[in-house]
Amino acid sequence: MNTPADHHDDDLRYAEYVLGVLDAYARAAVEQEIQDSAQAAAAVAQWQRRLMPFADEVVASTPAPYVWARIQDALQLAAPAPSRPRPRLWDNLRLWRWLGLGASVVAAASVAILLVQPRQLATPAASQAGYLVAAIEQDNGITGWTATMDLPHARMIVVPATPVAFAPGRTPELWLIPAGGKPISLGVIARDKPTSIALRADLLARLDATALLAVSVEPDGGSPTGQPTGPVVAKGTVGGA
Amino acid sequence: MIASSPDEREELNGLLIHAGRGDQQAFTALYQRTSSKLFGVCLRMLRQRGEAEETLQETFITVWRRAASFDPGKASAITWLVTLRRNKAIDRLRQHREEHLDPLQLEASVDEAPTPAADAETSQEHQRLQRCLDALEPQQRRAVREAFFTGATYNQLATRDKVPLGTMKSWIRRSLLQLRTCLER
Repeated sequence: MNTPADHHDDDLRYAEYVLGVLDAYARAAVEQEIQDSAQAAAAVAQWQRRLMPFADEVVASTPAPYVWARIQDALQLAAPAPSRPRPRLWDNLRLWRWLGLGASVVAAASVAILLVQPRQLATPAASQAGYLVAAIEQDNGITGWTATMDLPHARMIVVPATPVAFAPGRTPELWLIPAGGKPISLGVIARDKPTSIALRADLLARLDATALLAVSVEPDGGSPTGQPTGPVVAKGTVGGA
Repeated sequence: MIASSPDEREELNGLLIHAGRGDQQAFTALYQRTSSKLFGVCLRMLRQRGEAEETLQETFITVWRRAASFDPGKASAITWLVTLRRNKAIDRLRQHREEHLDPLQLEASVDEAPTPAADAETSQEHQRLQRCLDALEPQQRRAVREAFFTGATYNQLATRDKVPLGTMKSWIRRSLLQLRTCLER
């Protein structure tokens, strides 16, 4: 039997993508084309319009109530009546701008926080096991991320706990703020999956119990300036595990 | 049926647009209106309640984050939602089951043609698709439906139907080309 189009007809490949018969690799290739080419995106959209009416046949089934509860929790939506959380002083970008000090204020604040915190500051940087952990807490009091630093292997794993929602086009960026120093970017981190960060020697040297980890809101791709440009939404001190 | 009338379609478009502007009430209403349908499709494809729940959850988390990119000029809200949900479910299938498919589970997934009663309730678009499907060879029609509802790869479909991979590809590709021509009439 002769097979139509083993020579690859793009439109047919888009149809195969929408139908769902392609393997993960071929799917990823089409998804890239959708990103890169308006023509590909339009062709895929047309196949979606053609084939999605199939979904009409499916019998509806009500999901358990906890599914919605989990969604609300993951997105930090107000429940039940939607009310926007009032921005706190710490979140207020205009305040930072007004102060005109930007990031150095964050650094100063971190020192202040450390000074008022009753916890032991004498802990040496590398704890016995060579691990440090930090709960990066949001202003709502809920842990946004947990960072575990594996010093012997010079790696940090940042695991999202219950991060707040970010507007489209905004992304969380993690900063290491050494006591009395300027924030150093550790890169953008994911809200929905763990992020692994390689720790350079200069970062390792600054990771001790007086350092602060902070998450700021940045444009996709990270801060264009190398310093935080958006509000700080979460912070936590580095402590021994 | 969700969104089988133009009014319902407009309403869902409106809810999704408002959700894109950060309106949590609109997002909640969108979930209430569409989650049962989307969950039904998740269940049919994944066949496990836990996985279907996780997929539905991931879908709505993505809906909230991406709603601002929804363009009603390009697709209706329901097509946008179903597509997003399908992509999540297929990604999940590819991650977990690409290598080890369970033939028994595949056997259990039968071709459920819509009953005439159900047919009467479906949208005009569905009826048109159904007419075009009816023009296909029975084996090919079955393969297309199975592909859509199970999210199986060519390899998995060929294994299940006990036909060579080339034959399965040929059936599906011919069917897609025929559907394209038929639906454009």
